[in-house]
Amino acid sequence: MTDLSPLCALGAPAPRRVSLGALTLAETPDCGLASLALRRDTPPPSLALPEPGRWQETDGVTAFWTGPGQWLVEMPGCAEVDAAARLAERAPGASVTEQTDGWVLVEITSTAGAAPVERFLERAVNLDLTRFAPGHATRSTVEHLGVYLLRRAEDRLGIWGMRSAAESLWHTLETIAGRLE
Amino acid sequence: MLIPHPLLGLRDAQEFTYLGDARLIERPTSGDEADLAEYVFQRDNPAGLHRELWFHEQGDRSWLVVTRNTLTHEILGAELARDVALARKEGTA
Repeated sequence: MTDLSPLCALGAPAPRRVSLGALTLAETPDCGLASLALRRDTPPPSLALPEPGRWQETDGVTAFWTGPGQWLVEMPGCAEVDAAARLAERAPGASVTEQTDGWVLVEITSTAGAAPVERFLERAVNLDLTRFAPGHATRSTVEHLGVYLLRRAEDRLGIWGMRSAAESLWHTLETIAGRLE
Repeated sequence: MLIPHPLLGLRDAQEFTYLGDARLIERPTSGDEADLAEYVFQRDNPAGLHRELWFHEQGDRSWLVVTRNTLTHEILGAELARDVALARKEGTA
């Protein structure tokens, strides 16, 4: 078979990474993603399913709420395996769909605590920051691009955006971070 | 404009898509043609309180019934359209 070389969502063989002031933006291609929807008679799956507007981790796997009875599940290190099959093992009877290649994950970390992350959020999304403490996850828009935002910690943020608009999303995030200095 | 989402709290109206009169939930089941024509074509256009459907498109994709004053844009409340429809079904059953 032809020897193909995989590319990241931003078009290069290696993930893109940039540091601007206290913030570092990092494309994170190794995280698998699958959606999970419970059906009427599905038994409870063997992972924690968070309340609306939140995320929760079980054994390194993070689920975040996307709608009534629906979650997206992040599986770090599972981008090159069948992530949906692994999730289906934990959730028999539920509807599970592979999502990894439809999305791009950008992790934003701060070297100066929560303040730079909060100043970034104030400029990126119209969300009430008092309701976006660590543990919260929500869908919103950044410059009209639909994204999922996860507040992983005071100084850490995960942003899932559309893979087909990865370059536009990166441009937006980089511009906002660059103007904080 | 901020919409008080019943599950997610205050959210920017920019995340939502507007559909219109919430009476669209009340589709007639009588089979009467005049009732159906009324449902499909006739809408009230009040200057004042209005119950209307909003779709949280850039959010959790839920339909909401929002009560809004069309003169002041004051929003007096929001419920999940699913709950409104279920309550209506129980009321008529």
